[in-house]
Formats: sequence, C-alpha cells, structure tokens
Amino acid sequence: MARDLPQEDPLIRMQRDLKRALKKKPTDIKWGMVIDIAKCIGCHACTIGCVAENKLPPGVVYRVVLEEETGHYPFVGRRFVPRPCLHCQNPPCTKACPVTATWKTEQGAVIVDYNKCIGCRYCLVACPYAARTSDFGEWYTAETAELPGKLYGQKAAANGYEAHPAAEYGQKWPDRNGGSPVGNARKCHFCLHRLKVGMLPACTTSCIGRATIFGDRTDPHSLVYEMIGSPRVYVLKEELGTRPSVYYLK
Amino acid sequence: MKNKWEKNLIILTIIGLVVGSWGMYQRLAYGHLGMNYGSFVPWGLWVAFDLFFLGLTAGAFLITILTYVFRIRLLANLGPLAAFTVLVTLMCELLIISLDLGHPLRVYRFLITPNPGSMLFWLVVFIISMWIIYVPWLYFLIREQLIAWGNDASRVGHKVYRFLALGKTAYTPQDRQQDHRRTRFLSYLSLPIGVIFFGAHGAIFAILHNRPLWNSAMLPLIFIMAALLSGGALITFLAYLYQPNDELIHPLGHVVLLILLSFLFLEALQMFVGYQSKITGIVTSLDLFIIGPYWWAFWIVHVLIGSLVPAFLLIRYPENSKMVALACFLIIITFLAVRLNYLIPDLAVYKLEGLQNTFFHQRLRPEYVPNLNEWLVAVWVISLGLLTFLLGTRWLPVVQAGTGEAEHV
Repeated sequence: MARDLPQEDPLIRMQRDLKRALKKKPTDIKWGMVIDIAKCIGCHACTIGCVAENKLPPGVVYRVVLEEETGHYPFVGRRFVPRPCLHCQNPPCTKACPVTATWKTEQGAVIVDYNKCIGCRYCLVACPYAARTSDFGEWYTAETAELPGKLYGQKAAANGYEAHPAAEYGQKWPDRNGGSPVGNARKCHFCLHRLKVGMLPACTTSCIGRATIFGDRTDPHSLVYEMIGSPRVYVLKEELGTRPSVYYLK
Repeated sequence: MKNKWEKNLIILTIIGLVVGSWGMYQRLAYGHLGMNYGSFVPWGLWVAFDLFFLGLTAGAFLITILTYVFRIRLLANLGPLAAFTVLVTLMCELLIISLDLGHPLRVYRFLITPNPGSMLFWLVVFIISMWIIYVPWLYFLIREQLIAWGNDASRVGHKVYRFLALGKTAYTPQDRQQDHRRTRFLSYLSLPIGVIFFGAHGAIFAILHNRPLWNSAMLPLIFIMAALLSGGALITFLAYLYQPNDELIHPLGHVVLLILLSFLFLEALQMFVGYQSKITGIVTSLDLFIIGPYWWAFWIVHVLIGSLVPAFLLIRYPENSKMVALACFLIIITFLAVRLNYLIPDLAVYKLEGLQNTFFHQRLRPEYVPNLNEWLVAVWVISLGLLTFLLGTRWLPVVQAGTGEAEHV
C-alpha cells in the first residue's frame, strides 16, 4: 500500500486534533485550513454545507468553489479552488472598517460583530478575495404565493426556515425583519459556534473528497500542521502580503 | 426675471421631492432590497453622488485659496455664498451616504468604537471638521446683516433674525473687526483641512492594494483636482446667477479653465500609465469605461459635453460671462459621469479567476446599472438640497453679506 494513503479517515484525525486543541489555552490556538486542490472534485458540497449550517439567505455566500481551466487544447485541465474567507494574518478588511466591527480573534479567525457593523461595505471593497458578501435582506420565499387561511404559503414557508437566522458566533439573532444580520457584511467565521462545542466546520465535514483539512496550525501533531509543511503548499495572491491562514495544495 | 426662475426652480424641487419620495419609501420601508448594487459592486450610484457632492464643497475652498493665498480680493465677496453652498452640499452628502449604509442609525459607532486605522473613519472626521469650520465661518460673515435684518421691524420674520443674531441689536466697529479676524482665522484653518479632506476621499480608494486601477498615489491628487474643478465650476455658475459682475466671473473662468486642463492632463496620465503597465486588472477596468458598454458616459458625457465644449467656451469667450457660466454649468451636470467612471470599473472586474461561475444570484454579478429606486432617491436628495439652497439664499443674507468683504482680506 502506498505510504501516502491515509490509514484512517482524515476526519477522525482532525476530530482528535480538534479535541486536543480545545484543551489548550485559547490564546495558544491558531486555526488554519488546508485545501488540497488535487482532491477537490468540484461537488460544491462544502458550499451547500456552509449555506445550510449558517442558513445563508440568497446572495450571501461564505464559501464558493472557483473553477479554473488550465492549459491549451489538446492538453487542457480543470481544477476546482474552494474559496472560504482566507482569515488573513494581515487582513485588509479589518483595517478598512471605520467602527472596528470586524477584527481578528486571538485564534486567528477574522470575525464580524453584527451589532456593531454599520453596513458601509468598505470591507467588501477592501477584501482581495471577494470573501465577504452583504446581506441585502433577500428571501428565498419572496416569490412564494401567499394563500390566506391556508396552512402553507409564503409566511408559513418563511417561518419554517429562513425567518430565523442561524446561531452564528453562538448567538441568537432576531428574525429576518430588518435587524442584523440583514444590512451587515457577512463572511466565513470558521464555524466558531461549532468549534466551541468540539465540531469541525461544516465545509470540512461535508467535503466528500476530504480535500479540506482544518485544525490548529501551531500544533505539530495536527494534520493541518503536517499539510502546511507540504512542498505543494501555496496561498492565494501571496504578492499582496495578506498572509492567509487558508493554504492550498497544488 | 430672477424671481421668476427662482420660483420655477422651487416648483421643480417640490416636484422632485414628490417624485423622489417613492424611492425614499422603498429605501426606508424595504432597506436595500429594492436597489441594484450587490456584493461584487457594493457601491453604486449613491456613493458616486456622495463623491459628487463632496466635490461641490470645494467651491468655497477654491475661493479661500484664491482670496487668502493668491490675494484675489474681489473673490472674497463670494465668501458667504460659498460657505452656504458648502453646508448645503455637505448636507446632501451626509444624507445620501447615510441612506447607503446598511444600518444608518448606528453612525454613533464612529464615536464610541472608532478605528483610527481606517481611512473611512478619517473621512468622517474631516467631514465633521468641515462643518466645524464652515458653520461659524458663515455665521461670522453674515452676522452684521442678521443684526440689521433683526432690527428692521418691517422685515418679515425679523424676530427670527434677532434670534439668529443671539439677541444682539448693535454691531460695533469692534464687533466687525473681531468677526473679520475670526473669519480670516477660519479661512486659514480651512486650507490644510480642505486639502486633506479632498485628498482623503481619494485615499479611501487609493490605499486598497487589491484594486489596481485605484491603487496609485495619483488618485488623491486627481480627487483634489476633481473637487476643485466641480466646486470651482459651481461657485462660478452661482456667482453668475447671484452676483453677475464681469470682473468677478472672468477671473473665475480663467481659474476653472486652468483646473479643467490640469484635471484632463492628470486623467490622461492615469490612463497612459494604466495602459502602459499592461496589468490585466487595470487594462480591463479602463477598457470597461473607454470602450465598454457605457463608452458614451465617458466619451460623450464627460469628454465632449463636460470637457471639450466647456474648454472651447472658456478659451474662445473668456470675456463673455454668459459663456463662462454655460461652460461651468456643463462641467457640473456632467461630473457625475466622472465619479461613476472612477467608482464602478474597478469594482466591476472580478479579482479572482472563475468567480463569475461560482454562484448565480443578482447580488453576485459584476454588472451594475442603477435602477429607478436609486435614481429616485438621488432626485429626492438633490431636490431637497436645491430647495434648501434657494430658500436659504432668499431668507438668509448670504448674498448681501459678501459686499465689502474684500477690504478685510
């Protein structure tokens, strides 16, 4: 058997790594992610997993999968590059925010305080990776017909799902009637609410090719640490000096 | 004649307010849902108007420079009118940018959780500084007239003028001297603040290293010139309307021509450097407004109507106040195209290859065209600003107070 074939599902190892990380002092943890382009099959399960986990409304997306075509006919190829927020160690978005509504946590995740954000969208303009989207208050059920007196209709459909935002950042947010996070900048937060309870981010667990590796990048025993040491590693737009915490393997 | 066009303009602004209220209703009732901008082009028409209004405030700044730096005393008479114009345009700017915010009621956050590392924070600081300078400046410039109007019992609303004069009934030579000292101090203070203010709103874009078209030290300079051009054109046009004095209009026309040519030179330089750099992001952005679907906004609106025709009028008829005013009017009404051409093209170019195919939603597209709601809100804000200006010049002594100001420069 080839040496690089995993002996156990990487998810099991990542879960073990996560448990170990959570025992550390919070300030000693630095979350990181490695995405193995060679393993990504472009199924978009991570995008869907993220949308479902965070109940993202229409037009808001935290993790997309870019499709790149390479080479020239007849030697052509196609590769998929999932792009969450890269949680830069030198983030341009946090510097742009005029009211300190977005910042980098001690664990290295770039987050947004929905209650502070004024919705100026300067951070969207400043992000080199287009990793932030604004919540304009769209509804999936906007076009659904309302049938007064009937059990099912627009209101019932909305109430059944999208009217109640997900508990991002471990907080309960008001119903989607104009209050935050409607009007805010929104972005991937490494599923901090899941990490808090010992669960890996939704994109990581939903990746059927095990192309997404997550963990504490300062833990030498973790899978993510091991992957960052690979000679195949690179980051997006390195020339900008943003030093992302999300790495890619060629 | 003047009263007639003023009356017609007031009626027009009221119609504008009524028509625009539909857009305001959409904005206030449904937030940003009815607007066309999205997450890839997050700033649209209202931010372009914000830049447009900010530029118009430079008229007073130009008067200050010409009066106190270049000692063109004659222009000092325009001081009160220029200061009042600044306050009206600042009001429009604040209004339209507040409507652009996702949570406008949270603006107090600028005070309680400020980020001094953000250029946007500093822009707000300088906007407030402009208010702090120009409100007392205007007040000290018109105080003498306010007292005189307050004392004139036959004048309608003389009690209001008395109240605005803080109950003062006499204006002594010492008061006059003191007020002139104050206005001179505020004029000098407005020089550095103005340069930083107009440069700062160019810097908001210029510091973003992910935006290749904007990311240049030249952009703040271009923004200063753009502000001086639109502001200078506005104040010249207003001078023609309110103080039609050839000796006043002709030098202003020369100044506007000089600024127009300097601005066009800087703009041409930016395009030359951009195209010669051959950086894909820059070339694509430049192509977008030079040969893209909205080429006419650049070539016809900005270059032809907003630059070549005014330059021709200013060169060919420098001694004809009517032509100078017409040239300035053309510059003002076409300047929104300049602002949109700076704002949209860089935003409308994908910064990651393949991003266009990842997610299909109208908020995640690079195409942006302002919709009716956005235009209606802009109409409402412009109408309110114009109405405030027209009523202000009628009810406040901003035109009358300028007389004699030159002697004190």
